[in-house]
Amino acid sequence: MAEKRKSMIKIKPKKFKVGDTVKVDFIVIHPMDTGLKKDKKTGKIKPAHYIDNITFSFDGKPFTTMKIWETVSINPYFSVNYKVTGKGKITVDYTDNQGEKNSKSKKVKPKG
Amino acid sequence: MKRREFIQSMFAVSAVAVASAPSIVMAEEAKKAPAKKGPNDMSYDEAVKTITDGKGAKDSDKITLKAPEIAENGAVVPIKVTVDYPMTEKEYVKEIHILNTANGNARCADVMLTPANEVGYFATRVKLSKTQDVVALVGLSDGTFIKASASIKVTIGGCG
Repeated sequence: MAEKRKSMIKIKPKKFKVGDTVKVDFIVIHPMDTGLKKDKKTGKIKPAHYIDNITFSFDGKPFTTMKIWETVSINPYFSVNYKVTGKGKITVDYTDNQGEKNSKSKKVKPKG
Repeated sequence: MKRREFIQSMFAVSAVAVASAPSIVMAEEAKKAPAKKGPNDMSYDEAVKTITDGKGAKDSDKITLKAPEIAENGAVVPIKVTVDYPMTEKEYVKEIHILNTANGNARCADVMLTPANEVGYFATRVKLSKTQDVVALVGLSDGTFIKASASIKVTIGGCG
């Protein structure tokens, strides 16, 4: 079931120093089905399929965890703040209610 | 032989009737019951109770909840929450919950923050079924809860 999903981490602003507070945006392409909608082709109700757990971590240390329900929009977007402490890697791990596990990471390169 | 066949067919017909009868009853019951019901439905009051452990939350102006007044498309409503509270090791914003008042499932997102976040900030996009309030319920490190709400007019619902 390990389907590879498209996802993206953005750090805003692009240029930052150690000690700056940056925004970490995470977007993933996911249907987020509520379990109420009908499939237009087959006429059957689509089963619920949504992301339920997300963990943001820096070099293996989690700094934000989330629990998400189907009330979040299609192709969900999440944004949190983070204080840059040095060079490293931000990793976002996410699982959904059908057992898919994925992760995405991005290097953090502060200047100065 | 004719008599035997007749009796056998009688049994067959009655068996079919017995088998089909419950399914008809079931179908009628399904029509009566509300058709749309999500897997983890929870009303707003219940959600607040489970999150705050029955303590309830106070309204506060420390929270700024940014949301559109009128949402044309209920399927994508951007929500932005900022909490004006220090983020040090001793006192910090522990959790931010985004709730709604009229969807089937009142909970949207539960976010657990740490002092490494520096600012109590969270943004996402949610689905809203009809015109209702969106509530940001914020838990602080000393165990108290504060909240802020914004009412949003939804022209086209975005659930199901």
